[in-house]
Parts: sequence; structure tokens; C-alpha cells
Amino acid sequence: MSAELAIRNLEKSFNTGKPAVDGVSFTIAPGEIVVLLGPSGCGKTTTLRCVAGLEHPTAGEISLDGDLVSAPAKGILTPPRARNIGMVFQSYAVWPHMTVRQNVTYPLRTRGMTRAAMDAAVAEALDLVDLAIYADRPVTQLSGGQMQRVALARSMVYAPRLLLLDEPLSNLDAQLRLRLRDDLRRIIKRTGLTALYVTHDQQEAVVLGDRIGVMQGGKLRQMATPAEIYNRPADQFVAEFTGASSMLPCRLARRDGEFGTVEMADGSTVEAWMPAAPAIGTAMVLAIRPENALLGAAGGSNHFTAKVHALRYQGTQTIYELDALGGRIEALELGTAARHPQGSEVSLTLPPALTWAYAAAV
Amino acid sequence: MDTEAFPVSTNIIQFPQTWLATATQAGHDRATRHPRPEDVHHPMPTPATSPRLFSRAWSGLLLLILTFLIVYPTGMLLLGALTDANPVVDGFANMRLSLDNFATVLANPTVHAALANSLLACAGGTALAVIIGLFFAWIVVRTDTPFGGFIAAIGMLPLFVPPLVAGVAWAILGSPKTGLLNTVLASMGIGFRFDLYTLSGIIFVFGMYYAPYIYMFTASALRNMDPSLEEAAEISGASAFRTMFTITFPLILPAIVSGMLLSFIVMLGIYGVPATLGAPANIPVLTTYIFQLTSWSPPRYGTAASVAMILMLVTGALVVIQQKVLSGRSYVTVAGKAFRPRTLRLGPWRWFTLALAVIYLFVVVVLPTVALLIAAFRKFLYIRNFDALFDAKQYSWLHFDRLFSNPATVDSIINTMQVGIATALIGGVLAFAVGYTVARTQAPWRRAIDVIATVPVAIPGLVIGVAYLWAWIGLPGGFYGTIWILALAFVARFLPDTVKVLTSSLMQIHRELEEAAWLCGRGTLSTIATITLPLARPGVIAAMTLLFVLSIRELGSSLFLYSSQTMVMAVHLLSYYEGGNFSVTAAFSLVQMVLLAVLIGLTSLATRRATPMDAASGLGRAG
Repeated sequence: MSAELAIRNLEKSFNTGKPAVDGVSFTIAPGEIVVLLGPSGCGKTTTLRCVAGLEHPTAGEISLDGDLVSAPAKGILTPPRARNIGMVFQSYAVWPHMTVRQNVTYPLRTRGMTRAAMDAAVAEALDLVDLAIYADRPVTQLSGGQMQRVALARSMVYAPRLLLLDEPLSNLDAQLRLRLRDDLRRIIKRTGLTALYVTHDQQEAVVLGDRIGVMQGGKLRQMATPAEIYNRPADQFVAEFTGASSMLPCRLARRDGEFGTVEMADGSTVEAWMPAAPAIGTAMVLAIRPENALLGAAGGSNHFTAKVHALRYQGTQTIYELDALGGRIEALELGTAARHPQGSEVSLTLPPALTWAYAAAV
Repeated sequence: MDTEAFPVSTNIIQFPQTWLATATQAGHDRATRHPRPEDVHHPMPTPATSPRLFSRAWSGLLLLILTFLIVYPTGMLLLGALTDANPVVDGFANMRLSLDNFATVLANPTVHAALANSLLACAGGTALAVIIGLFFAWIVVRTDTPFGGFIAAIGMLPLFVPPLVAGVAWAILGSPKTGLLNTVLASMGIGFRFDLYTLSGIIFVFGMYYAPYIYMFTASALRNMDPSLEEAAEISGASAFRTMFTITFPLILPAIVSGMLLSFIVMLGIYGVPATLGAPANIPVLTTYIFQLTSWSPPRYGTAASVAMILMLVTGALVVIQQKVLSGRSYVTVAGKAFRPRTLRLGPWRWFTLALAVIYLFVVVVLPTVALLIAAFRKFLYIRNFDALFDAKQYSWLHFDRLFSNPATVDSIINTMQVGIATALIGGVLAFAVGYTVARTQAPWRRAIDVIATVPVAIPGLVIGVAYLWAWIGLPGGFYGTIWILALAFVARFLPDTVKVLTSSLMQIHRELEEAAWLCGRGTLSTIATITLPLARPGVIAAMTLLFVLSIRELGSSLFLYSSQTMVMAVHLLSYYEGGNFSVTAAFSLVQMVLLAVLIGLTSLATRRATPMDAASGLGRAG
């Protein structure tokens, strides 16, 4: 039942402006959950809607289990109803004129099932989302979180080949979102469905996804496991979007495989990881997450002295703004006590594997 | 919604300075509960009236006015229904009230026939209107049919055509012997003949002209629907057709039902269409039968009041149901992002939907206009054959000359303008007072004020006419037969619409804007004058013009209240029609339409922000 989704060179242009989706390719293995992550307007929802068949791609191919469902060049465009895909909408789109049971039964009615089989499938789906006792309530009497689970049950009840989720948690309040985020992954994994999930929330992406695809400006910047995205961001955008808050200008001095040495504005040199292989002397940007800038003495390379310019005390952690390497670096230290006062000198260690350098945008 | 007691509201323009002073003091007085720095430093002498007393006096005044305008005439109608006495001959002393009179009327087979015809005509008309209106809403909102905006705009035009003019135009087109359509058919050698002097003719005109009503209701419901509700159905495996019938239509059902009931109610009260198309073939409906009763000699005022009562009860029941439908099931959905209109690509079928739309517009706008033009400008309406239509020698201003050489015509136009201005001014001020008191103050009895001001929704114009007749014809003082009785009847009849337009523009003014003025030391009247009225100005102008336009078109209530001195345009037009002169009738219809068009055009220029929807929905209600 769960299928492989393959997208090749997907393009979608609307009447005006640059393409919303610009040459996106990726594959989702059966049973895998892939999250498309990006700021609003990056093309993630358009990609999802193309997979659903609700938008017609301008170019490229989408196939499910090897069946082409969208291929404008070949004149193939399977309508949404024939794709056997489940989808949870941002607004849930539960039908307000029906009860919970009627909502969940609806997709089964066009599938030629017996009454008994339908009832069993609906009961199973409602059980899965913990809504069995609400089955005969009008959906308008449910809370936002419950409506969201009705939408989920409705999209899974017919065991679709693929489950699409379009920011399903964005309309819920913060606490509920945290709880449902964990529930959602558990439920999807239990059904074994292949899932494509769209969100702008990094935390959601990390918790839910087997792999994360970061999108920007219609392009897929990187697709990898959450750990890979966080520890080896492929470009400056991915690093910045996932939380690298310090960006310092530098110049490439020496390269050695994936690592190299860059020279900073104040003349000091830093060893850093670099995914691309630019020429020596290229202007670059050094990107550092505040969690990876370690305060205090430590052995090894990339050991510097910095001065505390300002600090932001946040209760369980403190963020220091440090003057170092000819620029400003943010460093985060856990703990309820801020150990370094403003103006004091601290030692700073930047682990080479977690200090990234990218060619500066021209 | 209100948090503060606010005793006073009225249109400042109408009140001399002394009122302003009193009101400022009243405003100051209530500030004792709500101290302002200014009061501490400059204590003013306590006015004689307490704010409580003042707001009671104010509410009492409003209630008195509403009683005079609405409650008293309705009560007299009720009395009239219970008597067989003639108020003119017998006076009110010899009323001999008894339920028997009402029972006798209820048992009358002619009443049964009229009621049955009314219900049939309205049910048929509503059904036709739903089919056309729903179809239009769908193609304009949900498909890529070309020129959708243009179709929607032109499609609203029928709402602006007075029913009497529509009736006249279709009588000219579809009378069984001399109708223009039949002349064309005959010259083409086709044996088929139209006959609109039938119940189906009435149904046809009703359906055609009230389809825009259904359109207004359903189009906005379709537009405001979350498109993902339909997308979810498609993803679930439903076809476009199945989605439409299991998701789309059920979701907008409250809007459809509500629009249906409203157009049924409006049709029930219309006199112009059944008078023009039903009268020649002697098809009585309730409205025409009521008028017949009062024009017999001696007039059967009691019976007319009874039949009017029946009409009012049916209308009232429908209004109650409609309110229930509107308030009951509204589907509020969680909206994530702004809705993008979801359009269905029809492919080559979009030319087919365009053709259907063009046919409707042709039938409902072009044909009647051409018919009126031909009838008004041709020397003789008898047309031998199709070619004779284009004989330029046959056309002249002859009928307009005849129309205006009749002094009664000019008088009727002047009377109409006078009544219109009086209605707009009195109605505008009263509606603002009612709207402000109900929406913005804590004045006592404002629920009662609200309810009484809304009651006329359930009273067809013709019934108001009969009620005012009963209320004033037997009283000395000569009020009956002046233009003032017409103006006050119109004010009462259109009060709910005017209050609605004004309230919606008052609602757009945030309370804090007024509160800021109070804190600056302004009293209530001063705040209304300097803050509320200037901000609500587009709404006030829209409401007053709406009243003016409605009173120009109003026929139903005028029929019972005009005298030879106060003949108005609509009545004069009807008398031309009943005199059998189609050409002059058509010429006068055109004059009336041009007048209306100029007025509506000027208003929309003056109030760009005004709500055309409100104006249009109000217009449709006039019979």
C-alpha cells in the first residue's frame, strides 16, 4: 500500500513573477516521512499541491510507485480523486455539515466497499486518532485539535498510497502543537504510510521527519536527515535558517579536503568545515550556531580570546554577544547563572567540525 | 456590545442650539459615574434632569413615534379585519367588532383562489429564481466563464427595475394578440404564440427579475467558502459532480434557503406584476384582490383589511422562518490563509455558459428595454410585419408630448419628488436615531424599539397602505389625502431597510473613536455631530438616497393613500396602463427609469464607500 514518491525536476510557474517551484527533485522511500521546511513563499506548499494534483505543474514529472501522475510534457495529469492520496489541510477542511463519522466515511463511499467493511475501517481510523467516543458528534462541536485528528483519520481511512500534510499544526495553540507533533509521528509510523509534510517550524520538522528538505525561493537547498541538516548544512541559507546566528566575513587561506583554514578580518585564522571547494583567496562567510561556540578553556585548535560585549539573560540560558575574530559572535551557555559579566574577557573555542565556511554571495 | 449608558442620540442637524446645550449637560451629568479631569476643575451646575430621566424621555419619544407610525396603523388594520363597517360612512363608533367578519372572509372561495394563485406564483417564481440565480452564482464565482465580472454587474440590473415597469414591458412583449414577440413570430411564419397574461407569465417575470436576489445570497456564500473543503472531497476520491452535490451545495444551503424565503416574501407583496399580467386574464392574487375590494362601490374596506391580514400573517411566518434559517446553521470554518478563489476550468464549455448568461441578460435587460423604446417612440404600436419595425417614419416623440401635455403627469412627478424628499429626510433622521439608540446606547426599552422598527419587514407595502387607510380615513383633520400620509407610510414601510444600512455603517465606526471624544470633554450630541456623523456620512447619504429611490418606485401602499391632489408617478403610470394606452405607459416607464438611473448614478458617485449590496437588497423589496 505505501508507495514510493519520486519527483523529478518539478517546475511550477504562476502567471506572474518567478517560478514558485524551480527544478525540485527528490524521492521518498515507502514508509518514510519527509518534511519540506522553509520560510513562507519558498514553494513548499506548491510542491505539495502539485503532488496532490490540486496544482498543475508547468514541467517535470511526479510518479507514485512508478506510475506517472503528473507529467505535463507527456500530457499526463491524473486528477486528485484518482491518485489515491490522503491529505490533511492547514484549515483541516473537515466538512461542517457532517458528523465525525460522516466525515471519515465520506472517502470510502466512492470505493465500492460493503457497509460492514466501511464501518470497520472507520472504527479503526477513529481508534487510531483516539476519537472513537466522538464519532457521532457534529464536527462543529469539536476543538481545533480534535478537528485536526478528524482530518487525519479521514485522510488515512482508505489506506492511501501517500499522506500529504500541509502545515497541519499551524492553527493550534503552542501547547497542543507540542503534544500533537509527537502523536502525529507515532500515528503515521504505526500505519506505515509514506508521508510528505510541509511546515515552516524547524522543531516540528526535526521531530517529525525522517529526512528534512529545506526549500528557499522555489529551490530545494538540501535534503538530509535532521542531524545532517543541523550538523552539516549544505549552504549559508540552510545554516542561517536552522539557527546559525553569527556570520563573519573571511577569506580562504588553505584547503585540506572537507576542511580548510580561513583568515578573519583581524588576521587570526580559523579551521572550518566547508562543503564546497572554492579557490584559495575566495571571500567567504564563517557561520556559527550559538550552541557550538563554546566558552571557557578547552584544548585543541580554534582557541581564541573574546570580550563580552553584551549578554541576554534568558533564565535557563544566557546568550553572550562576543567581540572576537574582528566581528561579533553569539555564544550560548546553559545554566541559570550568567558567569561572565559584560566587558570581561573569556576564552572561546570553535570546534572545526561545527564551524562552517561558505563562499560569500557575490 | 455596549458598555456605557448613553441617553441621547439624534441627527444634530435637526436640532437647534438649545438641544445641544441640554444634551451636553446630560453628557456631563453622566460623567459623574465616570469622572473626567475637566469635571473636577470646572464643576458645572447640576442640570435639572437626571440622565436616567433623560434617557427614559428619549426612549419614550422614540417609542411614541414608532407607535404612531407602525403600531397604531397595524392595530387599526386588525380592528378593520374584525368589522364589516365602513369607517368613512359609519365612523369608528359603530364598528360592531366580531370574529365572524374575519371568518366569513376566510371562507370566501375568491380569497382561497387569490391565496392559491399568490402561493403558486411565488413558489414558481422562487423556483425559477433559484435555478437561474444559483447557476449564475456558480458560473461567476466558480468557473472561468469569460466576462464574469461584467455578467455579474449587468445581472444585478433587474433589481433596479420597478416591478410595475417590468410588468408593463412584458405585457407589451407577450400579450397574446398584439405582443411584440408574437408579431415577430407571426412574421417569421411560426405558429407558436406567447401568452404572458397567465399565471405562468407572472411566474416567468417573477423568476427572471428576482434571480439576482438568490445570486447575491449564494455568490457571497460561495466566495466565502474555504476552497480546501472541496479539495478535501476531491482528494478523498469524489468527482467534481459529487463534490458539488455532497459538499458545495449542502454548505451553502442556509444561504440558498434564506434567499428563497426572502424572494418568496418579496414576490408575495408585489402588486405591479400581477396587476399588469394577471388583470387582463382575470387572475386574482392577494395583492390585486385587496385593491379590487377597496375600489368597489361601496368600497369593502373591512374585507380588504381581512385579506391584508392574511397576507401579513403568511409574510410574517415566512420572515420568522427566514430569521431562524439565518441564525441557525452557519458554518464557521477554521481559516488558515486567505482564500484563493477556486475556479473550475470549463474548457470549451465556458463558451456555453457564457452563451446561457448572455441569453438571460438579453431576455431580462435588452428585450424589455427594446419593447419599451419601440412602444414609446412608435406612432402606432400595431406592427404589420417585421420589416415595419425598422420604418423610421413610424417613430416620433408624439407619446412623450401627449404624456407631458397632461397636467396630471407633471403634478405626479412634482408630488413624487416632494414625497421622496420628505420620506428621505424624516426616514433618515428617524432611522439614525433608532439605529444609534439600539446599537450604541444603553437606553431603556431599546429591545422594544428594535423589534417595533423591524416589524415592517413582515408587512407588504400594500398592507401598510390598507393599514394607513384604516388608521386615518375615518379621522377628521384632513391628514388622509395629503402627501404627508404617503411620506409617513413610506417611512414606516422602509424603516427596517434604512436602519439596517445605517447600523452597518455605524458598526464600522469603532466605539473607541467616540469614547476618545467623550474623554476630550465632548457630550453625546456633540460627539455624534463631530465624530459619528462625519464618519457615518456615506452610510447616511446611502440610506437617504435609498429611501428617496424606494419612495419613487413604491406602488403598493400609494394605491390606498393617494388623492386626486397627491397622485404619484407609480399610480399615474398604472392608471395609464389600465386606460389601455401602452404607448404613453411605455413613455412614462422610460421617464421613470431614466429618473431612477440618474438618481442611483449620482448616489454611487457621491458615496463611493456606500454598500451597493444593501441598496440593492432594499430596492428589491419595494413592490
